[in-house]
Amino acid sequence: MSKSNAKPDRFRELKLSLQVFFSNKSAVAGLIIFLFYFFDALILQFFPQILPFKHPYQLTPNYANPIPQPPSFKHPFGTTYPGVDLLNAIIKSIRLDFWLSLEIVIPGAIIGLVVGIIATYFGGWIDEVLMRVTDIVFSIPYLVLAIAIGYVLGRTLQSMMIALILVWWPLYARYARSVTLETKELTFIEAARAAGTSNLKIMFKHILPNSLPPVFVQISLDLGTIMLTISALAFIGFLPAANLPELGYLTSLGYNYIQTAPWAMIIPGLFIVLFALAVNLMGDGFRDVIDPRRRSEL
Amino acid sequence: MLLFIPTLLGLTVIVFVLIHIGGTNKLLAMYLSPRLTGAARQQIIAELDQKFHFNDPIYIQYFYWLAQIFQGNWGITNTPIFSGPVTQAIELFFPNTLMLTIFAAILIWLISIPLGVHTAVNRDKPSDNVIRVGSLTFYAMPWYLIGIILIIIFAVWLKILPINGTVNPSLVADLSWYHNGISYPTHILLIDALIHGNLVVAGNAFLHLIMPSVTLALGVMAALVRLMRGTMLETLDQDFVNFARAKGVPEKVVINLHAKNNALLPVITNFGYLVAGLLGGVVVIEDVFSYPGIGMWLTDAMINNDMGGIMGGTLLFGIILVVTSLALDLIYAKIDPRIRY
Repeated sequence: MSKSNAKPDRFRELKLSLQVFFSNKSAVAGLIIFLFYFFDALILQFFPQILPFKHPYQLTPNYANPIPQPPSFKHPFGTTYPGVDLLNAIIKSIRLDFWLSLEIVIPGAIIGLVVGIIATYFGGWIDEVLMRVTDIVFSIPYLVLAIAIGYVLGRTLQSMMIALILVWWPLYARYARSVTLETKELTFIEAARAAGTSNLKIMFKHILPNSLPPVFVQISLDLGTIMLTISALAFIGFLPAANLPELGYLTSLGYNYIQTAPWAMIIPGLFIVLFALAVNLMGDGFRDVIDPRRRSEL
Repeated sequence: MLLFIPTLLGLTVIVFVLIHIGGTNKLLAMYLSPRLTGAARQQIIAELDQKFHFNDPIYIQYFYWLAQIFQGNWGITNTPIFSGPVTQAIELFFPNTLMLTIFAAILIWLISIPLGVHTAVNRDKPSDNVIRVGSLTFYAMPWYLIGIILIIIFAVWLKILPINGTVNPSLVADLSWYHNGISYPTHILLIDALIHGNLVVAGNAFLHLIMPSVTLALGVMAALVRLMRGTMLETLDQDFVNFARAKGVPEKVVINLHAKNNALLPVITNFGYLVAGLLGGVVVIEDVFSYPGIGMWLTDAMINNDMGGIMGGTLLFGIILVVTSLALDLIYAKIDPRIRY
């Protein structure tokens, strides 16, 4: 196939992919919600001066009026203990949660992919050992393992990130493994090997691109799961540092006022659910895109 | 099959590494009085080093440590809710967690399988859409939020279920088999009350068990409903199902006998993930409901930087998961004639 032919082909592929994705209405809704979170995170991270926040990276308590106030004109979402305006706090929290989720899932996926591909490509004892290691990491519930790693590293935001990366890569190693097992028997890999291509090049130029689409789907789904895990860890008190704008920590602030001020827990919680729901719907849409059966229907 | 032995050993290696990676000073801190200084302190440190074999190479230390683990010496824990040997803490807290997870697992099994079958059979009908949206929403909810919403509805608004703990303290104030928050002989209040024939306490304990177990069930169930729906849809498309229909077998029998049993196989293989989900869930949910189980002890240990509790809990959960997945493999081999070990 010459280069000039390849281009329109790619273009048609892309067009078809977009068609499949946009024919799934709930996936589009998920994408729109995801984009809201994304722009919130983007603006607060890089252009915080646009928004009228004195302290964009921490909560601003108001000790003069610490009791949670119901939603009003001044505080559209109400306030939570100690006098934190929930709307502002949520806007700030989304930035932290969003980047933290990305910072966990992407290194996790990269480590998992590399381990999985190397293990499966070479096979034999390397495969045996690496897969046993993933089994062992899998055998501890990730919340518990994260707590144990948090004890070792000290409970900070940094160590939460490292702990969750260490917990998250085995899943991707398994994905990469199942894809590589199929791909490595295909003829084009044999041809590449016969042509004298190095192992490294075969692994990362020929096998890796084939395992990327399902991994992208998984990354999209995992963004939600990681957000849930972060918030659960923050809720049970993993982060001792107060004043951190984090959705799970925000919900835990309202815990003592559950009988008198239910909004203080429900509203931040709603934003966690919304994000997890959106990335799940979006991930289902991506799965349709890479599913050959769905493609042929259009 | 026998691969579970290296997995278990690997698990102990991970826990050992996590314990020792912080250096020996951190480990000795709990045995040293901060007021002790100078030469006396050095001498105590030297004695403790000798006692705990800290002067040996690290891999030798591992075997000393493993021997102690096998002998049931899991170290000590010191948290506000319990201080003493880790094994004793496990003995006290684990029965409660077991009760909670079994209760939740029964709920999950009873509800999610019929729901999954129902949605697959009534594909794209309103009931399917409602159940799908519902299960997706629960799937996207943090566990603690499910618990909080249940508390707000059933305890704050309707006032029919208790918020936290295992029993109303005034009911157990002068019972002979209950003191210091511990019931005897099984440590599960509900079962102990039944053993002693105290139905009032048993009923109260049961009410306290409802919300945590429903929360746990709802959190884990969503994934299972989705999985069951997917495998059921695939099974309903297969030739043997069409053949059974063509033969004139009633649709009810086709669904409940032919299709459902085959669709259950992949669900059972994924039961290991379900157990993992349950064990992860109890950590958060027991904390929300102040339910005295392993999860609450673990979060308490985390907040107090108590190594014995954290590492004991990690090792315990790891062992439970490895053993469960082994048991599941055995069950799977039994019910699926294609698999032979």
